[in-house]
Amino acid sequence: MDYLKKVFAIVEKDIISELRTKELFTSMLVFVLLTLVIFNFAFGQDTQADMVDLASGILWVAFLFASILGLNRSFVHEKDEGCMDGLMLCPVDRSAIYIAKVIGNLIFISIVELITVPIFVLFFIKDAAGINFLFFALIIFLSNLGISAIGTLLSAISINTRARDLMMPILFFPVIVPVLISAVKSSSVILVASNPITDVYAWLQVLVVYDMIFLLISYLTFEYILEE
Amino acid sequence: MKRNNFIAVLAAAFVTMMFAIYAAFIFAPEEQTMGIVQRIFYFHIALAWVPYLAFLIVCIASILYLTKRETKWDQLAAGSAEIGVVFDTLVLITGPFWARVAWGYYWTWEPRLTTSLIVWLLYIAYILLRRSVGEHDKRARFAAVFGIVAFVSVPINFMAIRWWRTIHPLILKSTGMELSANMRVAMFASIIAFTVLYILFLQLRVAVENSNEELEKLKDEIGS
Repeated sequence: MDYLKKVFAIVEKDIISELRTKELFTSMLVFVLLTLVIFNFAFGQDTQADMVDLASGILWVAFLFASILGLNRSFVHEKDEGCMDGLMLCPVDRSAIYIAKVIGNLIFISIVELITVPIFVLFFIKDAAGINFLFFALIIFLSNLGISAIGTLLSAISINTRARDLMMPILFFPVIVPVLISAVKSSSVILVASNPITDVYAWLQVLVVYDMIFLLISYLTFEYILEE
Repeated sequence: MKRNNFIAVLAAAFVTMMFAIYAAFIFAPEEQTMGIVQRIFYFHIALAWVPYLAFLIVCIASILYLTKRETKWDQLAAGSAEIGVVFDTLVLITGPFWARVAWGYYWTWEPRLTTSLIVWLLYIAYILLRRSVGEHDKRARFAAVFGIVAFVSVPINFMAIRWWRTIHPLILKSTGMELSANMRVAMFASIIAFTVLYILFLQLRVAVENSNEELEKLKDEIGS
């Protein structure tokens, strides 16, 4: 109970500081929208039925790039303003800092996506009637969890290297590939209303397994990153 | 590194490699449809096995480093990762030669090839991460954590041709192998030879790391 209170105190701190600047949120959102528009140029405007496969790929690449922005920021500020030292001096377990950061990143990424998805559907999906948005939300949530779980750990690593944020995509992209594949595949199933929902189950299992593996490994190893 | 030990491994590597080459090019029968090109398979599969072993050792050494904090585990992980990448690079080179004849093209985005490329990129990232951290202790900790994270994707690569239907041939099955007896000899000879070669490289690489460390210590003593 006490542990959870500490976790949410850190989450609250991140939300308050974000609400005051709105710097991260707006840049992530604009970035996602720009990515969607640019992909639209790259692939042409013919929105046929077989566009759905392409569209879910576009969506997830845009989400992935945007989450990199968010994940990087979550430690850049802490490091630059000396807040990291403050956090580490706090009488909290290192894992509490990790959990708090995962929750924070999850919230920021999810809000950006919540706004993006309707716009994406408008842009890329001609026949939106009958799409199971509840399942789509589940896919997005599970993918976000995986992205935040391992992304938080890797951004804590990369921010402490010489290359700083440059290191992040190099470490993050190859690791997140299984989550990305499952997200894209299951999204392209769900975005066609006539597809049977059971086709998604196998990919959801992969997502759940990866979420658990990433959370567990990161939870156990995070303390070794912050050791000074 | 003990000198006698090194010479023994060197001799073993030489003998097994000579036998593997003999087995692959002369002892094994020529495959009917593909002819001589098929013989690259013996080296390809042996080269492909070593990275699995190498990256498993990176993972184990990383866990041991984090729990015991002894430099030797960090050196072992660093060396094993680099050698694994070298072997993996050779896998990615020998594979397309075979594929060009068997499938008609060098590369295709099917699960096994794709995941192999991802594993290769993961350990390139591991090496880049090591290069990017100056402090010794910090580098060892970060690399150890990433060494554990990266290994999560290795079993996926191994299972890729088992989970998904693909055109990549599956040699090791639970039901047995689709190879003639002589071909099997050539395959195992090659696997053993390349494993010994890996052990030889690893010894050398760890020895280099040791010397580097000694050099650093001496530099510190001089105070430069």
